[in-house]
Amino acid sequence: MTMAPETQPNGVASPPATIEAVNVSRWYGNVVAVNDVSFSLGPGITGLLGPNGAGKSTILHMAAGFLRPSEGTVRIDGEQAWQNPEMYANVGFVPEKEAVYSFLTGYQFVLLNAKLYGLSDPDGASRRAIRAVSMEAAQDRRLGGYSKGMKQRLKIAAAIVHDPQILLLDEPFNGTDPAQRLQMMDQLRRMADEGRTIVFSSHILDEVERLARNVLVIVAGRLVASGDFRAIRRLMTDRPHTFTVQSSDDRRLAVALVADESVFGVELGDEHLTVRTSQFADFTRAAPRIARAEGITIQELLPTDESLESVFSYLVKR
Amino acid sequence: MNEAIFALTLRQFAGQRRSLLLVGLALIPVALAVIFRLGEHLDQQEETANFLADIIVTAILPLACLIIGTSALGSEIEDGTAVYILAKPVPRRAIIAAKFAASVLIAAAFVVPATVVSGLIGLQGVPNEGIVAGFTIAVLVGVFAYTAVFILLSVATSRALLIGLAYVFIWEGLITELFSGTRYLSIRQYCLGIADSIASVSTQDFEASLGGPEAFLLAAGVAATAVFLAVRRLESFELTETD
Repeated sequence: MTMAPETQPNGVASPPATIEAVNVSRWYGNVVAVNDVSFSLGPGITGLLGPNGAGKSTILHMAAGFLRPSEGTVRIDGEQAWQNPEMYANVGFVPEKEAVYSFLTGYQFVLLNAKLYGLSDPDGASRRAIRAVSMEAAQDRRLGGYSKGMKQRLKIAAAIVHDPQILLLDEPFNGTDPAQRLQMMDQLRRMADEGRTIVFSSHILDEVERLARNVLVIVAGRLVASGDFRAIRRLMTDRPHTFTVQSSDDRRLAVALVADESVFGVELGDEHLTVRTSQFADFTRAAPRIARAEGITIQELLPTDESLESVFSYLVKR
Repeated sequence: MNEAIFALTLRQFAGQRRSLLLVGLALIPVALAVIFRLGEHLDQQEETANFLADIIVTAILPLACLIIGTSALGSEIEDGTAVYILAKPVPRRAIIAAKFAASVLIAAAFVVPATVVSGLIGLQGVPNEGIVAGFTIAVLVGVFAYTAVFILLSVATSRALLIGLAYVFIWEGLITELFSGTRYLSIRQYCLGIADSIASVSTQDFEASLGGPEAFLLAAGVAATAVFLAVRRLESFELTETD
């Protein structure tokens, strides 16, 4: 089952799609890498999440026009991605492979990309892109002497030098240290805030959770979920939701809550209650009402399994 | 043609060990010409012509073009850096044109001087009879044809070097020697035909079975077809997967 919240929680229609996949499949001989995947993405950051070998890179490469879909189409700004080099004027792509032209300096590498994009001021654009990833200090050193994290940042500079509206990144945080990762995430957030569409693949849940609310979860070549991962979690009605509740009288509140039909399990702990419910929305409305009726003050009410990790583990086990 | 890709290719080549290999390759015929010149000769012109045919046209020219042609785009495809030129709004024909132009320039820079210097050493003291000019033009035409074919191979297969070696040594070195009908599919035979039509030496071992104009047209046709096919292949080129 694919879970895809259609509209934003406030009911506002989604922005127009800049990347669209329609019934896309890709196979290599008898091996199906991607199986009948459809999605549409608009401005903002989307994390392409899945275990190693799930088909993330295949999807990203098809979106980047580097792989021909065996079936279906991938469109970028309404144009087919495959065999359409003109689209790169508006698309930046950061490959996973570490290889760069090691004989070039950082500046020369970004300048080369700026020239290939046909920019009118390649020097100015290169310096701005290098500044955006905070690599000015190392820009005159050869890429061959860069660490993996530095290369990643320079690769991003090369991909954003033409100020693209769409940025595709394949495992961009590989090899980066925590400080570099935070800096790159800030940069991507800034770009997304400016209305760009950013899609990045990762198999590291923490990275995706910190950067993107919107996810495409790929498991064994299939799209198993897409949208805001918290909304996806709430759509999983066959999985109980767990809340921790702290109140002025946990024991009495436990008795009152267990009588409500939205609750099917309460565990009394030393410092809080753990409540299990199959109806997320009903419970969040019922809990304050029940507490008020009992004269109990709720100090904290937190959903505990809305993390991307729990969503992902549920989806992978399905 | 894209100037940035042209300049990148020249710089790429200058930084590779292959460039040292080519320097060595270009020096071999010069050294052999010096040794040849020190010996006794019944017919210096004929023997020099045979030397240029056997050493330059048969070995140095195709090997130099093979090394340069297969690495011009092939090494980037192999190590993954090709993505930086492919993910750009640059027509594929402009990429191939730049790679082809840079490869021809590099190959010619090594092979043409080696031909001229070897020829002049071999013919020292006797009339030139158009031998040096004939082989220089033939080698230049050969550079265009071989380089185009090897660039096509590098875009079409990951075993370009192996297939190129098989073409040079098995097809051209063996099969076209045994079956005369296959001379139409041999760049080496085109080169010999051009050299033969320009040089005015009467009887030579390298005397080709193809006439000069015919050989030139065939070489030009092969180069143009190979470039065209390389563009077509690059237009539908797929990056290999890691996922």
